[in-house]
Amino acid sequence: MPITRINVGPVHPSTHGVIRLVVDLDGDTIENVEPHVGFLHRGVEKLVETRMYMQSTPYMEKLDYVAPMSYNDAYVAAVEAAMGIPVKERAQYIRVILLELQRIASHLLSIGTLCNDIGQMFTAFMWSFKDRDIVLDLLQEATGSRMFYVNMRLGGLHSDLPPDFEEHALNTLDYLEKRVPQYEHYIERNPIFTERMKGIGVVSKELAKNIGITGPALRASGVNYDVRKNSPYYVYDKFHFNPQVLYDGDNFSRYKVKILEIKESIRIARAALKSLPEGDALGMPVKLRSPNPKNRISIVSRELPRGECLMYLVADPQRPYRLSIRSPCFINLAAISHIAKGERFADLFGILGSLDIIMGCIDR
Amino acid sequence: MNNIPLDNIAVNLEKNMINIPFWLHSASLLYNIIGIIIYVVIVSIIFSVFGYVVGWLERKLIARAQYRHGPTYVGMWGILQNMADLIKLLAKSDVVLDNADRFIFIISIPLILALSVFLVLLLPYSPVLQSTNLGFGLLMVFTVIAFFPILLFNAGFSSANKFANISAQRSVLILLGYEIPVLLVVASVALLANGYNLQNIIAMQSNSYFALLMPIGLFVFFVAMLAEFERPPFDLREADSELIAGWLTDISAPYYALALFIDYARMFLGSVLIAILFFGGWLGPPFLPPLAWLIAKAFIISIFVIMVRATTFRMRIDRVLRFGWWWLVPLSLINLIITYIIFVR
Repeated sequence: MPITRINVGPVHPSTHGVIRLVVDLDGDTIENVEPHVGFLHRGVEKLVETRMYMQSTPYMEKLDYVAPMSYNDAYVAAVEAAMGIPVKERAQYIRVILLELQRIASHLLSIGTLCNDIGQMFTAFMWSFKDRDIVLDLLQEATGSRMFYVNMRLGGLHSDLPPDFEEHALNTLDYLEKRVPQYEHYIERNPIFTERMKGIGVVSKELAKNIGITGPALRASGVNYDVRKNSPYYVYDKFHFNPQVLYDGDNFSRYKVKILEIKESIRIARAALKSLPEGDALGMPVKLRSPNPKNRISIVSRELPRGECLMYLVADPQRPYRLSIRSPCFINLAAISHIAKGERFADLFGILGSLDIIMGCIDR
Repeated sequence: MNNIPLDNIAVNLEKNMINIPFWLHSASLLYNIIGIIIYVVIVSIIFSVFGYVVGWLERKLIARAQYRHGPTYVGMWGILQNMADLIKLLAKSDVVLDNADRFIFIISIPLILALSVFLVLLLPYSPVLQSTNLGFGLLMVFTVIAFFPILLFNAGFSSANKFANISAQRSVLILLGYEIPVLLVVASVALLANGYNLQNIIAMQSNSYFALLMPIGLFVFFVAMLAEFERPPFDLREADSELIAGWLTDISAPYYALALFIDYARMFLGSVLIAILFFGGWLGPPFLPPLAWLIAKAFIISIFVIMVRATTFRMRIDRVLRFGWWWLVPLSLINLIITYIIFVR
């Protein structure tokens, strides 16, 4: 058959933002996929150079609008490393709790949208949105904001946790622990779901390592690598948890790793809540006049919900000289032209959904 | 069947009267024309109200399944929401792309609607409420239904959009996979009822519904009807997460309103057909009129179709074909053989 070239996006229901995929189709089989990015480019890395250190945190949150706090934390950690400011112990615990809650919310959304891409009439999507909303309520209680928190400060947080937060959080975690097996029950027992996910879009171990895929997509390909475990930050080394590794590397493993990670995140958050030390958690004020960087270059690595983020910060007095971000989504997206070859056109969106990309993070 | 008394009147009139205008050559023609008009009005009202209520109920029920409220603002419980949408769509401008094959593109969607309405008028709704009592009524219905995928193919192929093009190809593939099991099940229904007459098929179910006699046939027919009428999990032609809107991608708003009509017309058709072929049509305890029984049965079947929509994922085209040929065709053959051995021989 003649090869048809189809332009998927930039406006398409399941491109998760504005990505353009140029797809060459032979009948219904994909010959080649070429992703085109840059529709959402805002020049964040350059904007940061024109602002003082703590003025840039809102920009960092808009990089990944599904898990804003993780990026905020990565940036603030890079600045802390440059300034040589230690993080207070209670603030470290609270950051771990909030980051794990953020990870749960992000994975829930990702599972919901994946089901939507596979062709579910928004039911699983709305279910996961409802549970994500409960987590967001909790984050709102802790930070005062629902979506973009801007609560990380140098050396601590903008505000301490409210007094009854611990009880609410434990209740919510109990609820989620009951809820996650229900997702497994309803989604995985659907034969159409499993047949459209298993064996589709296989990322081999070598390919994953060569491209530099990180996060759940890497662990689904059988590589045991998690920044939280391999080079622990904050108080992650005090809690017992296992990076969830599966070996198939297909869409289903990438979905399943997220489900398993939600369970692990619940464990970590609960352990951190129970061992939360007393003390002060407040950080330095935003109006930080001419801070004096101790280190010229700081590199900070963080495990975001979508993979490993690297913040490379060259510090000047007052404002950063240069900030470079290693975006996990951008590198994970690179896999699509390798793995989508030979798959059906309908599965392209399952693959895209399971790679779990956020365009704000890719285009920066 | 109903024409017999009318024919008698006509014969009497022709005996007694000398001059009848040529366009009323027999009075039975006049009575038939009046009867047809009354019939069309009644059935159109039933069909429109049914389609509208099912359309509203679909939004409400799916919203319930998804922890939402569905439409609430327009009218009581949002019952006028679909009307508001329809008026908005009809008021928009009509655009046809330059690349499109203009004539076929414009004609095919109204044609699909016309065929659906033709089928709606062809079906019997009660012992008296029916247009004509054809001996081959059932075959007629499925002959007309077989035109739908071809017209959908035309609509998709002529719109010069690649997504619509893929959707058009899929519609033909679905035709290949699902026409045969449907016709095999229809054949076994005809075996049980000694013919293709729809009245007769219902009359034969007065002892026990065909659904009890051939549950496999009911299953095959239900699944194949979902596939024929583009309901999930077989909504591959209109796959919104893959093909944007499939064959409707480049269609402008007034035609889209027609397409929504087609959707509910086909839903009505499918559920009434299942009610007639498997659940005894208008048969039921006499405290309700026959028409009410038929509509109630069709309504329950539509709710079942809606619940299927809320829960399943979309199948992939190659799996759809494999499912059709590996499961539905053998099952319908088995159904035919069992029906023949147990009930006919």
